[in-house]
Amino acid sequence: MNLLPDFRFHRPASLEEAVRLKAATAGTRFVAGGTDLLVNLRRGLGEPSGLIDLTAITELSAVRRDGGSLWLGAGVTLADLARHPEILSDYPALAEAALAVAGPTHRAAATLGGNLCQDTRCIFFNQSEWWREANGYCLKHRGDKCHVVPKSDRCYATYHGDIAPVLMVLNALAVVAGPDGVRHIEMTAFFNEDGSAHLNLAAGEVLAAVVLPAPGGWHAGYAKARVRDAIDFPLAGVAVALKRHGGVIGALNVAITGTNSAPLAVSTGDLIGRPWDGDTAAALAKSLRAKANVLRTTVMGSVYRRRAMQAMTRRLIDTLWDR
Amino acid sequence: MAPGAETIHAEKPNNILREVHNEFGDTEAGFAAADLVREKTWHFAEVNHAHIEPNATLAEYDPERGRLTLHTTTQVPYYVLLHVAKCLEMPQSHIRVTKPFVGGGFGARTECLHFEIIAALLARKARGNVRLLQTREETFLAHRGRPETDVTVKLGMTSDGKLTACHLRATQRGGAYASYGIITILYTGALLHGIYDLPAIKHDAWRVYTNTPPCGAQRGHGTVDPRAAFEALMNEMAAELGLDPFAVRRINLLRTIPHVTAYAQRVMSYGLPECLDKVMQASGWAERRGNMPNGRGLGLGCSHFVSGTTTPSHWTGEPHATVNLRLDFDGAITVLTGAADIGQGSSTMAAQMVAETLGVDWDRIRVIAADSALTPKDNGSYSSRVTFMVGNAAIEAAAELKRILIAAAAKKLEARPGDVECEGEIYRVAGQDRGLPFTEVVKAALIDSGPITVKGTFTSPSEFMGDKKVRGSAIGATMGFCYAAQVVECSVDEVTGKVTAHKVWVAVDVGRALNPLAVEGQIQGGVWMGMGQAMSEQTHFDQARMMHANLLDYRVPTMMESPDIEVFIVESIDPNGPFGAKEASEGMLAGFLPAVMDAVHEAVGIRPDTLPLTPDRIAALLDAREGTRS
Repeated sequence: MNLLPDFRFHRPASLEEAVRLKAATAGTRFVAGGTDLLVNLRRGLGEPSGLIDLTAITELSAVRRDGGSLWLGAGVTLADLARHPEILSDYPALAEAALAVAGPTHRAAATLGGNLCQDTRCIFFNQSEWWREANGYCLKHRGDKCHVVPKSDRCYATYHGDIAPVLMVLNALAVVAGPDGVRHIEMTAFFNEDGSAHLNLAAGEVLAAVVLPAPGGWHAGYAKARVRDAIDFPLAGVAVALKRHGGVIGALNVAITGTNSAPLAVSTGDLIGRPWDGDTAAALAKSLRAKANVLRTTVMGSVYRRRAMQAMTRRLIDTLWDR
Repeated sequence: MAPGAETIHAEKPNNILREVHNEFGDTEAGFAAADLVREKTWHFAEVNHAHIEPNATLAEYDPERGRLTLHTTTQVPYYVLLHVAKCLEMPQSHIRVTKPFVGGGFGARTECLHFEIIAALLARKARGNVRLLQTREETFLAHRGRPETDVTVKLGMTSDGKLTACHLRATQRGGAYASYGIITILYTGALLHGIYDLPAIKHDAWRVYTNTPPCGAQRGHGTVDPRAAFEALMNEMAAELGLDPFAVRRINLLRTIPHVTAYAQRVMSYGLPECLDKVMQASGWAERRGNMPNGRGLGLGCSHFVSGTTTPSHWTGEPHATVNLRLDFDGAITVLTGAADIGQGSSTMAAQMVAETLGVDWDRIRVIAADSALTPKDNGSYSSRVTFMVGNAAIEAAAELKRILIAAAAKKLEARPGDVECEGEIYRVAGQDRGLPFTEVVKAALIDSGPITVKGTFTSPSEFMGDKKVRGSAIGATMGFCYAAQVVECSVDEVTGKVTAHKVWVAVDVGRALNPLAVEGQIQGGVWMGMGQAMSEQTHFDQARMMHANLLDYRVPTMMESPDIEVFIVESIDPNGPFGAKEASEGMLAGFLPAVMDAVHEAVGIRPDTLPLTPDRIAALLDAREGTRS
């Protein structure tokens, strides 16, 4: 590991102060657990003038009922998410996804907000400074060429967060605080399919919380393909929320991660009202293939990642169907 | 090697560092006599030791006196000293190398590495101290791991499973520099011998320069991939002949011990038969194999390794090991050994040998290890040589000290030395009831002589050092082999292609377990390292770019992947080992690979030929199997 660059360190006590600091200081970044950002900074990926530490803001680490919905502060750690009684009882898929992230020590520090906002990843980006320099840098950082899709004008680095697809299929809202106040956006609209600009956050904005709507009878789950059952990012991940009406699909949300530059919802409209059988599974697989754009961004080949995504989705729905 | 390939070193225009061609017995006749002859090629990815401690060194240069002290994370402090002296053109006597008690070896540091030379040069230039820490990426670049290897094995077998001949070809992509490449390639043939009764062996092997970081020694040095391929083919042929894999091992066991191999190795103790019995019973093989639920399987693999090479890299004619003992007024016994304790417990072992031989309390013993200014030269911690060689030297030193103490006690007791017996720390004339305590004996021994220093050495007899008539037989020459058998139980997830090892039963003949807890730990570590190579570890290069230089992309197993490893220690009591001990940390590694491959076959009916068994490879084989069925 290399040394961290020099920066000013701020530790505001309130969200308002954090937002004000961000607006007043150019080139600063927010940090909470640091499990993603600090690793990248040590590799020379970014030189922020300051870091605004969000961990002293108590409201960000709160989990509270808000009518029927559940308000999750962006500062809640993944370890807490995975063991919170209301999450375990009402949104077990979220706890499952939180537990699938990295290892126990990461989860003790890493936060919900940090996991959602984690940077995209690529084998040509997550390398040391001299490695990247020797390779002519890349479109995501200091360079003008994407080594994954050489003729492209955008970065194809992949989003590998485990939590986002689950929040998407549960119809969660992102609570974003900024200089102009607080806005709520759908989780699906929080992301943007561009490896070097994958978050729809304006300058000065911060993800403050996530609001989960009332459980509403969904059966949801998350499946993740990886070589090791700890540490590894998803080579492909899929979240499913299903409502079964007798013998047919009443409602179905599917979202994928680890495949594209953003977690993406997969279209399922055609499948509503159909039984869960081979034909329906094939139709869903077709939608998955149409949405996923798995490229050479990991050391694991893309053929496997595409295969695993489809096979895991099928098994996940098989399981949820009989639940 | 390929036509038109760029030459990496001018003196090796075809990029071949070393090729080996040997034949023992008549393989052609052996294959002709077989009922079944099969040949198959396996591909083994390059792996790295992935020691948790990255390379680090501290060089202190004293400009007033022109002296250099190097504190370094090496397995071979004396080899480092020799090379640094050569590179810096300094007298060896002006350099001191110490190896602090830090771990991380597995073969990665069995030679002087560039970072040690660089730190020393910089310290002299700066006329001061230089600390050099390598990042994980730089440690991966330093490499010295196990090379990418293609192994083609051809075996002949009678219908009852008896091997008639073996022809093994190995090609190693060894990286841009030689390191121990010549030894590694020789080892691909050397340990075809010494495990089974095999009448004819042919071996052809090529070590090739490639434009990648240099490979070197890694646990099981050069023997792992050929052994894995050999055992895997044995399992496949057993299945084809309708024989049980255990039965095929048993019919091929060495018949009489001692046994001299065609490669001039002497097998003095052989616990493999008992190892097979232990794991067969413990795994419930007879009842469970063939009756496993769908997606789950059992597999068997055997392996062996040398207890130290009897031919050191720097041949000087000195003993293989020397240990000094110091005894002074305080009654403490100081063990001075050059052996580098890299976490394997060599300092504990040396203390044990001395305490056991002298019969003194443990807390009298203090070990000072691997400091060239204080300790006698030692070749280093590699080839599992330390317990066997340093252990024997320590016993000899302790016996000499005991002789001195008994003589002193005899004088004080006015008896003949032959009449003095030693019971723990009490020295008495046989039949007398009081006797002298150790502290009194020490006082008596120091009269006139002052502090006592004794020396013990160990030298391998020449009959254990290979046969000059057999070219290359200096490699794989040893005084004792460790033997292992293991059964692996795994499952295969057909949706994700993931292989999970659930349980390993492993029995290892270690001669005698001097320190059973340490032996168990070493065995588990060896099995586990085999598991890493079998399941997930591999380096990745893309157009000469190193893609894996971190512990996210180089996938060492985590606790989640770690199966329960049940260890059975088999003690064959080797006639030459210290108290009968042999090596206990390398011989069990290779067996995991063929065992899990056979378990995967029982689970889902596929025969992988490329390792590691990552989910993409398994998924591709499963898909191909579906294609065949439909």
